Amino acid sequence: MSNKYDSSGEPVLQRLSREFLGEPNRYQIGAVSAALIALLTLPFWGARYQYVFALASIWAIFAMGWDIISGHTNYISFGHSALSGGAAYTTGILIYNVDPGLPMSITFPLSVLAAVAIGLLFAAPTLRLKGPYFSLITLVAVLVLTQLVYIYGQYTGGELGITAVETLTYNFTEMYYYSLLPMLLIGAVLVVVSQSNIGRILRAIGENEEAIESAGIDTTKFKLWAFLLSSITMGIGGAMLAHFYGNVDPTTVLVIDRSLEMVAMAVLGGMGTIAGPLGGAFVFVFLRDEVLTTFGSTGRWFSLWVLVLLFLVFLRDGLFPFIWSKLGSIGGSDDE
Amino acid sequence: MIGDIITILIVGAMISAIYALIAIGFTMVFGVGGVLNLTHGVLLMAGAYTFMVAYPYVGRIGGVIAGVLVAAVSSYAIYMGLVRYIEDNVVITFMATILAALAIQEATTMGFSQQARILPSLLPGSIAVAGTRIQYDQILAFVLSWVLIGLLWYYIKRTKNGRAILATSMSERGAIFTGVDLPKVRRQTWLIAGAFAGVAGIFIGRLQQTSPEMWLEPLTLAFIIVIIGGVGSIKGSIIAAYLIGYLETLTVELIGAPYRTVVALLVIIAVIMYRPEGLYGREYLE
Repeated sequence: MSNKYDSSGEPVLQRLSREFLGEPNRYQIGAVSAALIALLTLPFWGARYQYVFALASIWAIFAMGWDIISGHTNYISFGHSALSGGAAYTTGILIYNVDPGLPMSITFPLSVLAAVAIGLLFAAPTLRLKGPYFSLITLVAVLVLTQLVYIYGQYTGGELGITAVETLTYNFTEMYYYSLLPMLLIGAVLVVVSQSNIGRILRAIGENEEAIESAGIDTTKFKLWAFLLSSITMGIGGAMLAHFYGNVDPTTVLVIDRSLEMVAMAVLGGMGTIAGPLGGAFVFVFLRDEVLTTFGSTGRWFSLWVLVLLFLVFLRDGLFPFIWSKLGSIGGSDDE
Repeated sequence: MIGDIITILIVGAMISAIYALIAIGFTMVFGVGGVLNLTHGVLLMAGAYTFMVAYPYVGRIGGVIAGVLVAAVSSYAIYMGLVRYIEDNVVITFMATILAALAIQEATTMGFSQQARILPSLLPGSIAVAGTRIQYDQILAFVLSWVLIGLLWYYIKRTKNGRAILATSMSERGAIFTGVDLPKVRRQTWLIAGAFAGVAGIFIGRLQQTSPEMWLEPLTLAFIIVIIGGVGSIKGSIIAAYLIGYLETLTVELIGAPYRTVVALLVIIAVIMYRPEGLYGREYLE
């Protein structure tokens, strides 16, 4: 497999995998494989969790979409639900106002486009600035969008929302795979981006933006591309969410709490790692909908936010990087 | 027509006075500690709910005092119990405080239900000015706001402890060299910010709503005001508070209440684009 450009003699495939995955030991490879197999075979052993994990898959898309910009660059967005909610609402509004029979091949791309448009509208002016301005604008963006939904209630259904969206399927198993497979695909793309030089630059922006700028790199350009990628991801997830619920209303897709859930998932799983937020989303949704429901409808939220806060303070790097490094150090094979 | 203008002038002044109280605390904490405290809105809630609970037992004035005390102590507790340990990392602090705010919102919902409450008025009655009814509570808010701003001004210009706060907000390093006890200054700032938020919270709770969600909009407004006024500048936040207060009143009168946030957003984007350092502030440099 070697050619004249490849003087190391290392097989190309192995070189690529090292580039993107590092050199995991067998415990780490084993853990990742086990997790993947568990996810792919869930309907055969945990059928009663299909619905929750289908939802978790969509939220994993959101958490990863948040992570590729905010988790990597530390430009913290408190308003990513403006993007996913915008996409979900575009699907809903098109079906409700234009034609109930519109095929997904039309509504889906338009919804993703809407997320990109909203993203560029709010982020492009502010990504040039430093510090909390970006967070403020994203925060206000959600508030404004939520307000617009109420103002234009005749098109958006106001508080009750739109229920005309067609759910893809009523079969939980099919629904699970319809959510899981696109999520894994998006995850794979984002992991590649995150592990490439682009991802490295994004993380470096998060560490010390001035240093990167003085190296002659146009950081704004990188932030904008990352944000664009994030918007597309959010758009896909948002349109999927609309079809998952068959229903679009402010509380389930748009309000500020939904944005902060994405932040919480990323924090829980491990910011800036893509795979971390993916896992974080599963942990978060599972806790929210299955475990913490024992505390009652508000009690579960309280315990959830406190838990995430504890993670933020005591395990800043998140759950999955922690597990990963523990696995990596088994048998003293940690060579870092 | 003239009646309308007078109405806008008066109503705008009343609401702006409350916004100024909120924004001053927010900007002081930022100016002194470099901490963007997103639990600031929760302190308003602490003030309003404490007043609601305490009022039947200790009367109106007692209720106000209790509300302000609880807000100040909560603010202090948030600093000592959480922010102190993470303030070295701006991003973590930023996210931790908004998560804490959400947790406190849920705790409030558990204790008092989702239901919005109505607070009793502090000074019952109203007066007609140029055809508009002004509640005595609104006038009280305006007067109290300026009294507190005056006291704060006296404190940070004329007393030794207060001048330490001012010095720290100008230059932290310089303040340390002149023997300022930095942790003490920070604790003081959080107490003052909490007390100011407590007062504002009782009026927001009285004039707008008292509910577990009441923290978000005032927090956003404080954030917007502080950025327009310039982070760390008390003078800037007072002026920006009146700017936003009047803008909001005008929007409500001319276009309609739901457009408040939309207009505020347009203004904030314009300001951020053309004058990122705000009216009187330094640009935020991390």
